[in-house]
Amino acid sequence: MDSPSTRDRANAYIGRALPRLGIKRFLAGRGRYVTDQVLPRMLHAAFIRSPHAHARIVSIDTSAAAAMPGVHRVVTGGDLSSVCKPWTGTLAHFAGMKSPPQLPLPLERVLWAGQPVIAIAAESRAQAEDAAEAVVIEYEALPAVTDAMSGCSPRAQPIHPEFDDNICFRTVLDTGGIDACLQRAAHVVEEKFYFGRHTAVTLEPRAIIADYAASEEQLTVYHAAQTPYQFQDLYARHFSIPEARVRVIAPDIGGSFGMKLHVYHEEMAVVSLSILLGRPVKFVADRTECFVSDIHAREHCINARIALDEKGTILAMDVQDVAGIGAFSSYPRTSAVEGNQVVRLIGAPYRLRDYRAALSIVFQNKVQTSQYRAVGHPIACAVTERLVDLAAARLGIDPFTLRARNVIRDDAYPCETLTGYQLEQLSHEACLAKLRAMMNYDELRLEQQHLRGRGIYRGIGVAAFVEITNPGPLFYGVGGARISAQDGAILKLTPSGDVHCLTSVTEQGQGTEAMIGQIVADQLGVAHERIKVITGDTDVTPHGGATWASRGAGIGGETALQVARRLKTNILSLAAAVLQCDSSTLNIEDGQIVTSGTRARHMSLADLAGLAYFRSDRLPEGADAQLSVAHHFSPKGYPFAFTNGAQACWVEVDIDTGLVKVLKHWIVEDCGRIINPLLVDEQLRGGVVQGLGAAFFEECLYDEDGQLTNGSLVDYLVPMAGEMPDIEIGHVETPTAQTELGAKGCGEAGTAGASAAALNAVNDAIAPFGAALAQLPMTPLRILSALGCIPDSNASTRRAVPEHVE
Amino acid sequence: MNLESEAFVPAGRARAWSALNDPLVLRECIPGCETLEASSATELRVVATVKIGPVKARFKGIVTIDDIDPGNAYSLTGSGAGGIAGFAKLVARVTLVDGDGGTIIRYAAQAQVGGKLAQIGARVIDATAQALARSFFTRFCEVLSAAPGQPAAQSILAPRCADDADPAVQ
Repeated sequence: MDSPSTRDRANAYIGRALPRLGIKRFLAGRGRYVTDQVLPRMLHAAFIRSPHAHARIVSIDTSAAAAMPGVHRVVTGGDLSSVCKPWTGTLAHFAGMKSPPQLPLPLERVLWAGQPVIAIAAESRAQAEDAAEAVVIEYEALPAVTDAMSGCSPRAQPIHPEFDDNICFRTVLDTGGIDACLQRAAHVVEEKFYFGRHTAVTLEPRAIIADYAASEEQLTVYHAAQTPYQFQDLYARHFSIPEARVRVIAPDIGGSFGMKLHVYHEEMAVVSLSILLGRPVKFVADRTECFVSDIHAREHCINARIALDEKGTILAMDVQDVAGIGAFSSYPRTSAVEGNQVVRLIGAPYRLRDYRAALSIVFQNKVQTSQYRAVGHPIACAVTERLVDLAAARLGIDPFTLRARNVIRDDAYPCETLTGYQLEQLSHEACLAKLRAMMNYDELRLEQQHLRGRGIYRGIGVAAFVEITNPGPLFYGVGGARISAQDGAILKLTPSGDVHCLTSVTEQGQGTEAMIGQIVADQLGVAHERIKVITGDTDVTPHGGATWASRGAGIGGETALQVARRLKTNILSLAAAVLQCDSSTLNIEDGQIVTSGTRARHMSLADLAGLAYFRSDRLPEGADAQLSVAHHFSPKGYPFAFTNGAQACWVEVDIDTGLVKVLKHWIVEDCGRIINPLLVDEQLRGGVVQGLGAAFFEECLYDEDGQLTNGSLVDYLVPMAGEMPDIEIGHVETPTAQTELGAKGCGEAGTAGASAAALNAVNDAIAPFGAALAQLPMTPLRILSALGCIPDSNASTRRAVPEHVE
Repeated sequence: MNLESEAFVPAGRARAWSALNDPLVLRECIPGCETLEASSATELRVVATVKIGPVKARFKGIVTIDDIDPGNAYSLTGSGAGGIAGFAKLVARVTLVDGDGGTIIRYAAQAQVGGKLAQIGARVIDATAQALARSFFTRFCEVLSAAPGQPAAQSILAPRCADDADPAVQ
């Protein structure tokens, strides 16, 4: 059998920069999104949202709205509580975690500004929205908990009366020797960080059509979701419908970034409405609704310190993290995973001797936070890498040199981090060396010095990172979540020698289908144009985890490799029977059965399949034509496939305006076997852009009453092409030995380290002024405040951070 | 949001005070005001349509007047529900002092908005509030400038009595 790395044969597609098949359809405007779907008798839902961050519902009068033209039903929380079973966002392996049960619409109290309170189904969205204006809701406003730090104080009023406090989850990691280490250490450097919450801003908003047919007891849901099987399971259980009668179809999806795999109140209300009304009901969130209902992420206040010996050896890190997660822990993946990954990933590239971290996850009257691209990584990386830079400055050691001296050596694997992560094989030294060469680091330093003399302040920031990819069942399954860590694929040879691949991994625009198609074509020995990959339909594809945590290539790709090898075995065995030879002497090349070695052609796959499908009477006795194969693959061994890399950012800070120009960004990444370099590079670039968005622009700003004050694309800044630098990419390829394919993930690497590199770069630029900042995003106002150019106007945005317990 | 400013009106303090307590004058001067009724000596019921940035909302609200220092000052506390657009709350202290040839009305207000108004209107809320205040006092001056005896002014400055107000207010 050919190894995936054999590139000197026909159909050697793994590792090749092939253009994506089927991509032209989108350019031609032929994408088919949920929004494009129109079903007979379809109704449209609109929601009335709470204007208060926290309030008691005193009264609701829907009578006028119910009588409005086109309105079929106006429902309150009570109306849906008998249709949909409540859900609770906790996982068993997060000991002591708590979160109250949630319903599609609230019964008595609203807990964030924007929470849906009433749902209206009408013949058009406009009619539903008109009716919304006729509903009268009286609220009694209650005090809101908005700041996570004050929310976790013992004096804070619990926002959930059934709990004694606002702590959703707490954990402490402690190797035991930290206090002694901090006392002994020659240098201890400390910084207080604040990370602003931001959100995914997918091009396509959340969208769903639920179609319940009582006569067949069948629920069909067209859902812009990453994880069709996860939602099939959830809809079956929460609406008490047999699983086999729940079909979830995820058609074309315009970006998801983790945002489209959580249970949302609106979606559960839409399914409820369809069940109540026996008609299809559609809901597409408008952009204003997205800002107050799509999950947010990354609101963290962190106090962290690093200890080094006199020679610059990193000894230990000590971290206090308080994260605000909104009113409920999200479901089914919870809102604790991000914080958990922050405290477990801090320090991950380095050889630490001691580590301590305390994490508090706090309820607030804000939008829920949960998993968003590079869950926790950007926070962990920024904290670690900023402390390393501060330490380098304290010791007078070049930051590149200090990193190279302290990262885990490339020959030290396998090993385990102090927080329990098992690392199979990383390549920090190789990545840092490659990055240093790519960016001409030494010349860049000279240029920086030279320009400073002319009053131009440029900065270089470097960040090493570790990324979690390919999670096994110990990520969610162990905690009781019915979330699959395995994937499935079905491969069918068609009569004309084409190949259909039905896979459980899904496509959101990143090129999953192209990647899967390349692997199948490569392993089977057919032209890649002849593979059709079908995703996103629970009635069609086998059960599997789909796309999240950078698992598509590593797990879905390995599944495709294995299923292709099995189909190839079947095809060759049939061909051997027909050709009266030993199957081990045969191979498939370019869709032809050939003799291995001589490459002499015997028959095409079309001839063979035609024989099997239409003239099976002519097959020799005993020939077994198994030309469809179903196969599953589940990662075993290491709980995750960790990847790593290093990034650098080169910025210029205008010290008069506080504006930053990002001049260039570099990333060297090791995602193991690369299947399509074009797709990998674009994933990395997109990820870097999202990381730079967090570094400079994106923040959900709340006032002290819990009102989101920039919930539109006029006020919430996303990174634009004109602000983005050229992003240069380099690769180190260390395939994982856990699979035949050797691929790890690459989807989150860019986001994981970009904001850390940018933070270090801006601080490097303003260092001549003795200025520093440790808050993201780095807005002009904050930079000018750090420079002392304007009075400390940051009071409204600078928050308290947790104190270390001595 | 805090709003603090003053406006000069070309009327004596007694007349300005009287007008500031007259529901009909207030209805005439409050931008977008549809109805304004005195439900008691110190409580007004108001319906007004206000546009804040891209959000246009019809507010139904109650304004309570207290801490009255007749002829000199009063405080207003108002809250209004704007349906799906959200809500607004206002606390204001209004003080009258003699000016050169008229009266200076000083006001200090704290306003709070919620819901969609805050979400997409926050950026323009200060400017909108200032514009609304300017618009109010421009109209207020016009009403006070109208010579007594003219029909419009007479009807507006009629003795305060909710019962015989414009039928449209009922």
